[in-house]
Amino acid sequence: MGLFILRRLGIMVLTALCLTFIVFWLTNLAPNLEKLAKTQGNARMSDEAVVTWLANRGYSQPLPIKYGQWLGVLPGYVIEGTDGDVRARCSTPGEPLETAPTFCGILQGDWGYSTVAKDEVTSVLPVRLANTGKLMFWVLIIMIPSALIIGILAGMREGSRTDRALSTTAIVSTATPEYVSGVILISFFATGTFGMQWFKGVASGAVSDANFENFFLPVITISLYAIGYIARMTRASMAEVMTAQYIRTARLKGVSFPKIVLKHALRNALIAPFTVIMLQIPWLLTGVVIVESLFVYQGFGWELVRAASNNDIEMLLAISVVSVFVVLVTQLISDIGYVFLNPRIRIS
Amino acid sequence: MTHDNKSIHPAALMYAQEEKAGKLSRREFLTRTTALGLTATAAYGLIGAAAPAQAAGHVQQGGTMRIQMEVRGLKDPRTFDWPQISYYAAGWLEYLVEYNNDGSFTPALLESWSASDDATEYTLNVRQGVTWNDGTPFTAADVAFNITGWCDRTVEGNSMAGRFAALIDPATDKALEGAITVVDDYTVVLKSPVPDISLIAGMADYPAHIVPQDFDAENMLANPKGTGAYLPESLEVGVGGTLVRNEGHDWWGYAAGKGAFIDRFEFIDYGTDPSAWVAAAAAEEVDVIYETVGDFVDILDGMGWEKSEVASGSTVVIRPNQLAEVDGMQPYADVRVRRAIAMAVDPAVVLELGNANRGVPARNQHVGPMHPEWADVPAMEFDPAGALALLTEAGMADFEMDIISIDDDWRKNSTDAVAAQLRDAGFNVKRTIIPGSTFWNDWTKYPFSSTDWNHRPLGTQILALAYRTGEAWNESGFANAEFDALLAEANSLADADARREVMAKLQTIMRDEGVTLQPYWRSLYRHVRPGVVGGQMNIAYLPRLHEFGFAA
Repeated sequence: MGLFILRRLGIMVLTALCLTFIVFWLTNLAPNLEKLAKTQGNARMSDEAVVTWLANRGYSQPLPIKYGQWLGVLPGYVIEGTDGDVRARCSTPGEPLETAPTFCGILQGDWGYSTVAKDEVTSVLPVRLANTGKLMFWVLIIMIPSALIIGILAGMREGSRTDRALSTTAIVSTATPEYVSGVILISFFATGTFGMQWFKGVASGAVSDANFENFFLPVITISLYAIGYIARMTRASMAEVMTAQYIRTARLKGVSFPKIVLKHALRNALIAPFTVIMLQIPWLLTGVVIVESLFVYQGFGWELVRAASNNDIEMLLAISVVSVFVVLVTQLISDIGYVFLNPRIRIS
Repeated sequence: MTHDNKSIHPAALMYAQEEKAGKLSRREFLTRTTALGLTATAAYGLIGAAAPAQAAGHVQQGGTMRIQMEVRGLKDPRTFDWPQISYYAAGWLEYLVEYNNDGSFTPALLESWSASDDATEYTLNVRQGVTWNDGTPFTAADVAFNITGWCDRTVEGNSMAGRFAALIDPATDKALEGAITVVDDYTVVLKSPVPDISLIAGMADYPAHIVPQDFDAENMLANPKGTGAYLPESLEVGVGGTLVRNEGHDWWGYAAGKGAFIDRFEFIDYGTDPSAWVAAAAAEEVDVIYETVGDFVDILDGMGWEKSEVASGSTVVIRPNQLAEVDGMQPYADVRVRRAIAMAVDPAVVLELGNANRGVPARNQHVGPMHPEWADVPAMEFDPAGALALLTEAGMADFEMDIISIDDDWRKNSTDAVAAQLRDAGFNVKRTIIPGSTFWNDWTKYPFSSTDWNHRPLGTQILALAYRTGEAWNESGFANAEFDALLAEANSLADADARREVMAKLQTIMRDEGVTLQPYWRSLYRHVRPGVVGGQMNIAYLPRLHEFGFAA
């Protein structure tokens, strides 16, 4: 088991390295650097000014060297600019250059500086992650119970009217992507068009003070998509279990139907949905990108969109590392959890 | 007070119809109807608008004003490229001069100024009794420091250098020796080798914040030294920022009766999608929408918010680049091709389809009635058949014109309207739409594309920035020695009436050379929650935080 987790952690580091290098390479392509210079310097800067701006700030160094500096295996640049100012990668604004360390990268715990947010990545990203965490918490609170209930109700009597009705609902909700359902929900429940202006169409207020009014729409938009999918999985698994020999035996023995479902079928039927739910969490991150932008909720997905559209290099790299972490850790949890749910499986 | 229709002059009703049809500007409408004896309130009533509230007298002291606005990162004010940055920085960094919606200039940190007859020497009188918020007096040395800084072209992205080009030594890219002289503690004299009438206007533009001599752009939030009435409390880029009254600071404007009624400003960022702004307005999370655009003007009107409108020099140009090469030739170097394009497009149609008639039609001259020296030069005649004939004569009838625009609302729609009219005239036209994140990388080099231009106080300023030979922002690739010479002459005439004669020639060249399509002047709109006063839209997006207040 320990070896298994260690190996998984090794894979995680390797994946993060590969992914960050790809992101680093893409964000350091010449047109992207030009965009960075123009968003940071002046939108209508001349070409010569772009070149000196980039050179003065260390962006014109060779790619492997820049990547090494970001990792912290190479010393950070110290460049005397064409305007006479000396700039160093490791310096802090307002403090003398001499006190700056030589190395400042991931290995030293320095995640770099977000050019858009004008702040350290380590002080911006955790706030965003906490916001998304809050959103995800409520999504999971709504999604898991409702998806499981719908799936179990539909699966315990396959082909019944309840099954057909619930399955149709589930298929419709999972077939509707967030950017469609979000817009529909906003136009129904956040405008006066249909006389049902019950909620707010923007969630930026929920960052500091989340309440039912400003937080319900984003939560339900993300949940709807996943509810349908997980309910379908649960239903399939439940239906399969309900046809198993031991269920038939229990029925013949005269055990009541609710008791069969709750005591005998449920545990076996929940193995597959558990994996699906764990794998759904990284999937939800993609939904978060859309929903947070739609509802102007300043979380992880919103930050990703902002960093990407402004070519905020070090923020994007940190976001990639977090994404790799989330995906692989949820997979790890689902693998380990599987062992406890299904005694037939052993991790060697 | 109610008016029945009998007591209203019949011509006023006719003007109201014309105003609604977009044939008459609101300003013109008010001038004419009030001349007919209507009260301003009644005149506004005729066109279904509420008379703008007057700030003076009934503004309550204090309160928190929440403004929807993109919250952008701070940087050296000289390099500001968005007025939104200035809204935040203006809390503590002020201006020398303020520019008003009627085109006039009001002294702020300057007490007054005077120019020599040939517009080469300016005497600036610095306001006395102004202090920095650390208690030290504001003097002529501070003004000279800032102007010297504006003249430093080696700072990348310093757009003030363009406004003060007359004072810059091309050899060093810094201020000319002896151009900026501190005469005494409260007098600065500027001497320019060439006449320049736009220096005062340049001082009123939004990047012209006055910073202290020990200013450090990297650390400006942690050490907010300035002369203004407010201090930054927090700033989270893309999320929000707050300004609070600097209680310990004796702001000069209190004594001068400038206001600063609000105790606390909260700028809240709802992204770039206007529907989110409307949602914020509906949710009562904001008091002011920074700028209302497109159809959202009607939506916010419908929600009962108060509209302020100003007809400005903001515009869109859809220009061919005369230097651009397509398939090894320069398709737009031929004046016949450019004239054909101009003849085939009716500006009024572009205004209607591209901007829902929110503005006034223009004449492709990029100088308009809002500029003091504007001359009434007629537009080129709209003649699609003649246009195609001219294009055929130039041998370009088969050439496929690729018109590029940014992916947004009004700029894209206006470009579409141009493309549609060109197609109607029989031109071979293709449209390309580029997302906003990459559009600006190459904006001056596209062969045929649209660009939005902001308002500038003087017509000569725009012509110098956008059409003088070799200028960095000369996106039409226009190079005309006669034009440059006339422009230099216009720039030496401080008197607007004298300048108008030269301007007539300049405008004629702009028209006859078919330099650009410039179909309309935009009106700018802002909406405020009922009860907010003094938050009028400024013609140049200038922050006038001291005017904001809540009705008493």
